Amino acid sequence: MAKITIDEKVIECRDGVPVLQAAIEAGWDIPHYCYHPGLSVTASCRLCLMEMQLPHPKTGEMGWVPKLFPSCQTPVRDGMIVRFDSEVVRDNQKSCMEYFLIDHPLDCPVCDQAGECYLQDYSQKFGNSKSRMVEQKLVGPKKDIGPKTYLYSDRCVMCTRCVRFTEEISGTHELCSVNRGARREIDVFPGMPLDNPIQGNVVDVCPVGSLLDKDFFFKQRVWFLSGTPSVCPGCSTGCAIRVDQNENTVFRLKPRSNPGVNDWWMCDEGRFGFKYIHDEKRLTAPTVRRGADTEEVRWDDVPEIVSFRFEQHVAKHGDDSVAVVLSPMMSCEEAWLLVKFIRGIAPAATAVTGFVPTVGEAQHFPVGCDAENVKFTILPEKCPNRRGVELIAERAGGETCGFDEFVKRATSGAFSAAWIVGGYPEAWVPKEMTKVVKQLETLVVQDIFANTLTAAASLVLPACAWVERDGSFMNHAGKVQPFERAIRVRDGAKRDGQYLFEISGHVGLYSGDHVREMMADEMKEFANIGDAPPKPVHQH
Amino acid sequence: MAWKTIDRNEPAFDADAPNVLSDAVREKIRSFFPRYETKQAALLPALHVVQETLGHVSFKAMTEVAEVLEIHPSQVFDTLSFYTHFWTHPKGKKTITVCRSITCELLGGREVLDAIKKHLGVGEHETTADGEYSLVTEECLAGCDHSPCMLINEKLHKRVQPADIPKLLADTDNDKLDMPRSTLFDAPADVASDGASVTS
Ligand code: SF4
Ligand code: FES
Ligand code: FES
Repeated sequence: MAKITIDEKVIECRDGVPVLQAAIEAGWDIPHYCYHPGLSVTASCRLCLMEMQLPHPKTGEMGWVPKLFPSCQTPVRDGMIVRFDSEVVRDNQKSCMEYFLIDHPLDCPVCDQAGECYLQDYSQKFGNSKSRMVEQKLVGPKKDIGPKTYLYSDRCVMCTRCVRFTEEISGTHELCSVNRGARREIDVFPGMPLDNPIQGNVVDVCPVGSLLDKDFFFKQRVWFLSGTPSVCPGCSTGCAIRVDQNENTVFRLKPRSNPGVNDWWMCDEGRFGFKYIHDEKRLTAPTVRRGADTEEVRWDDVPEIVSFRFEQHVAKHGDDSVAVVLSPMMSCEEAWLLVKFIRGIAPAATAVTGFVPTVGEAQHFPVGCDAENVKFTILPEKCPNRRGVELIAERAGGETCGFDEFVKRATSGAFSAAWIVGGYPEAWVPKEMTKVVKQLETLVVQDIFANTLTAAASLVLPACAWVERDGSFMNHAGKVQPFERAIRVRDGAKRDGQYLFEISGHVGLYSGDHVREMMADEMKEFANIGDAPPKPVHQH
Repeated sequence: MAWKTIDRNEPAFDADAPNVLSDAVREKIRSFFPRYETKQAALLPALHVVQETLGHVSFKAMTEVAEVLEIHPSQVFDTLSFYTHFWTHPKGKKTITVCRSITCELLGGREVLDAIKKHLGVGEHETTADGEYSLVTEECLAGCDHSPCMLINEKLHKRVQPADIPKLLADTDNDKLDMPRSTLFDAPADVASDGASVTS
């Protein structure tokens, strides 16, 4: 820990970080554009300049050096004395802000970034209220630089964060900066658009409204959005994300920094993969089968119906005829409640780890890097909680098996009752399941969309999307990550956790934290998980 | 303020067109590799070689340079576009570069430029119909002591007067250098002659 003095206050900071990072972590608000903790340092925007004391070359006496230093490029040294609170530093910030706005179109009213734009924020805090620019502005073009992204080069501050992202993180090199001086612009090579599996991050790193997400384009003013910390369910990496919603509609997902998991990034598949939650075809009410027809039932009756059915079944066929298929889309808490409930009725029931959707191989970034330089990974397991449900099934004791094994055994008639959980965003039921359902006399299906399973089920319980639930996922590395509820469930629906809570005989409101406490008695993995992943120290 | 919009999804050239860089040019570019730690570092010499042989570096040529240096074409575009020296579209056989900086301006550079424009019938950044001359202006050519001055290709013409223009432009040897050209961007002789030892 180095001790440095900023504006006459002594702070302790991590060794080796730039002064800028140390100052931000200690609560200073230092304007900066080109510095991003996840990218290399270029010190080109000149906004973060500071004054520093150095020994006089002749006398050796410490004194303020009559020039400014980029705080983003100066690593902390024990005993260092710097200041931001000075006339010169403020003058520099003012001049820089004036310069950044020289050719800027000032089109905030039609800019998607307005409200979360660092040109706006810094102008207000560190800039001038008036522009002295009387010459004609150079108007940069608006470019369609790829299938998912626009580049409004007239709003660009040339921080080159986006270029460095494609160089250092994605390794795909699509972006470059062309021309020189006032005519310098971000561009792609014509015909080689920005198109890689993690390109959405360039919109996040852009501190201004220059890079724009086509998916979010003109969709919503950001000040109407409220964000909830969550975890992406797209693959078993478990990126920390923020769900931005307004009036119960999710408009976008943004990554939150989570060191060691996703750092600052997320992939496009996760970023844009939430659309299914607003699909009209989602199931919302519990239904029971009566002969060839189905009939909606009241949620209040559900606990009784399921207990009755399973109890009767066990009385008739014995308790080893029951299987519970825990989906890796479930939270740990839900899986635990369900397994407890089933084992309560049928102690010899088999706990199955549900279908694990797997696509291709792990994709590492930067593309083509060696193992020790991996900056980001998209995993082939397209579900968030395989490890979690596996662990819970295992710790519950008794018989467990994987999904393929379940299908095999069920086809040959090993089970006559099952509770099968789905909850996948895409159609998932494998063909072989048609044979399986024929063997099942009692079948409870908990899923998000109708499919061959729900058609055959004696009871269908609508599942909710992860944004409507709360709980935790265990990622591929065994890290338990809690997520919060971002939106209300649809009319008529009920959170999975809530009905599983009630079915298990608990009274009151389900909460992930509460259930996790109950679990922690048996499984120390779930003790002291705390809140959703930490708030980023570095917001932009 | 009018909006300019550009669609970058469309290629700027026909990707199936035959290669523009000959094997010899590629070999020459490769012969610079031993000079540097990385292949990417040979980018500037490579661009000089291409512009010298083809007269300009087209988008197609940029992709081929990228291929030889094993970098992304956008990295070639990035570096190339920084320098006004490189042309991305065909230029005339000879390029006239007139100085437009202060010393020449004070001593009549503008009149020289006007005289050339009038004589050739082209404007700045244009090429004559017969493909003979392209005309551009540049900042200080570092020949202020001989202002007003201009370049024809790499040959510096000193104290040019508007009246000299017709004769000067008619002279076929007006780009002949009276001192040896810099060899900085020539491939190192020993390596070039031993092409076999150079790997791609
Ligand atoms: S587009 Fe955004 S991120 Fe890229 S250089 Fe411009 S301001 Fe920076
Ligand atoms: S943040 Fe330090 S110069 Fe840009
Ligand atoms: S001003 Fe023309 S050569 Fe210097």
